[in-house]
Amino acid sequence: MSLIQPGVRREGEDQLEAAGMLMAPAQATLWGDAWSRFRRNKLALVGTAVFTLVVITAIVSAFWTPYSLYAEGLGNLTSKFSWQHPFGFDDLGRDELSFVMVGAQIAIEVGVLTAIVSSLVGVTIGLLAGYFRGWVDTVVSSVTYLGYGMPGLLVAFLILFLTNSPSILNIIIAISVTSWMDMARLVRGQTFSLRERDFIEAARASGTKDLVIMARHILPNALGPIIVQGTFLIPQAILFEAFLSYLGLGLPSPDASWGALISNGLQDRFEAYHTIIIPGMALLVTLMAVNFIGDGLRDALDPKRGR
Amino acid sequence: MLRYAVKRFGMVLGTAIVISSVTFLLIHALAGNPFSCQRNPAACLHEAKVYGLDQSLLVQYRTFVWNLVHLNLGYSYVNQGVKVTPLLVREARNSLTLGLFALAVTIVVGLAVGITAAIRQNSWLDYALSSFVVFGYSLPSFVLATMLIIAMGVLLPNWTGLIGWGSPNQIPLPAIALGLPYAAVVARLTRASVLDVIHQDYVRTAWAKGLSSRVIVMRHILRNALIPVVTIGGPLVTGLITGSVVIEAIFGIPGLGKEFVDSILTRDYGIVVGLYTFYALLVGLANLAVDLIYPLLDPTIRYT
Repeated sequence: MSLIQPGVRREGEDQLEAAGMLMAPAQATLWGDAWSRFRRNKLALVGTAVFTLVVITAIVSAFWTPYSLYAEGLGNLTSKFSWQHPFGFDDLGRDELSFVMVGAQIAIEVGVLTAIVSSLVGVTIGLLAGYFRGWVDTVVSSVTYLGYGMPGLLVAFLILFLTNSPSILNIIIAISVTSWMDMARLVRGQTFSLRERDFIEAARASGTKDLVIMARHILPNALGPIIVQGTFLIPQAILFEAFLSYLGLGLPSPDASWGALISNGLQDRFEAYHTIIIPGMALLVTLMAVNFIGDGLRDALDPKRGR
Repeated sequence: MLRYAVKRFGMVLGTAIVISSVTFLLIHALAGNPFSCQRNPAACLHEAKVYGLDQSLLVQYRTFVWNLVHLNLGYSYVNQGVKVTPLLVREARNSLTLGLFALAVTIVVGLAVGITAAIRQNSWLDYALSSFVVFGYSLPSFVLATMLIIAMGVLLPNWTGLIGWGSPNQIPLPAIALGLPYAAVVARLTRASVLDVIHQDYVRTAWAKGLSSRVIVMRHILRNALIPVVTIGGPLVTGLITGSVVIEAIFGIPGLGKEFVDSILTRDYGIVVGLYTFYALLVGLANLAVDLIYPLLDPTIRYT
């Protein structure tokens, strides 16, 4: 074990803190700093609020929707909006609001889970390639080189084509296969420069195992860019899923995602527009919200960049 | 320089062959027989024989590679007797037309917005344009396309003439839908890169000499600010290919993107493998072109 650990607390500090006796200057940490910068960014705050709302809608829709997705003939495509049906009806007379809510659920599930899966894969591969270099790095670099030779969406297409049964899991796998590479490249670059630093050498000299060095010393120092990149993976995955279901490779009805709703609504375009515009707006607003959060995080965690 | 170009071109070809092989092997090993054998076993056997599917995977693959290096991608599985290579070349012409117009939209709008926002940094115009940029790259191209179609339907009585393919007035709508989202990406990058350059000493010197603002922007700022912008040329082409898949399906344009969706949905293996080969070549060549243009703009970069 190394002798000096930055996180180790002195005796009695916990009690002092609990008593509210540690004063502000001692707490100007990287994360506290970042948080205060993030808080000043109005667009990022609005984005966070909107995204929270979407997440709550998604959770609620898993247990309750105003009307059943199977209840047909509640009204007409051209009926006026009312308080009972604020978003009107689709072509079969089903409540549009219920569908948009379930769409939020699918978008959040796919977006967040894909971001987590591809971040985990990307971080692990990037760490290994950056730390061990040699043949590991050669293999990883060749695979990413090939991966960048093909648009990601088309690769996801091929995987869904091969599995031949669209399910949330298959969609998440298909999108993750193409989106871990950016993360791997980022982490590999970070690891390359971090592993040359003195504190890593000190850890190695004191006999720390490779895995521990990667997990305890390199990873925490690369966490800022990883979080930013991970945030941007969410809108990308939501967008990909919308693309896939728009083209008819999404989940089977009635689990319609926003992309599928838009594609469905396109058939009604001579009678009504709301079945296109409402899911379209839901998609647009959600994507903008997450992008604002990502921008805010980037400015907060990396003050030297941008502006 | 020439040696570098030749070497990179070789790598593009190699990548295309690897990608196309992986696609071929995956599809033939995992996706199973594309012909329905339950209804008519005899016909199914016959079809399998015609397409060589009765042979072992290794033999099929050897034939595939042999044909590939002779630029022969085989036959369509759905429309019998249709050769894949000429079909794709014909469709590529439509996609290329659309792609170039979309690229023009991307570059013109992106540069104009990015430069304006940077020069007027922190003014209301900058904030408005920056919001437009986030709006732009959050807006999926298929949503934009659908909205454009609706808008045309509301605004113009004879709008149906604008959807389809074959006459020049059918180009702008899909080109805007395809190009505009990426204009936002270009604008963002241009703004950041112009801001980097605008505060440098030689620009201040140019102002001090009393040069006109047009000369300073065009000759001193842009020439250097555009260098980082060129680097996204590769990802831009990848993005346009991705977008074209949806846009061509919406507007009914007989190009590679529409063919891609159709062939996946009808399980036309021959065309699917052919398209992946084609796209791999396209992306590789676009990246190569960017890397070759780069040293022309930035004399400090030399390839050996």
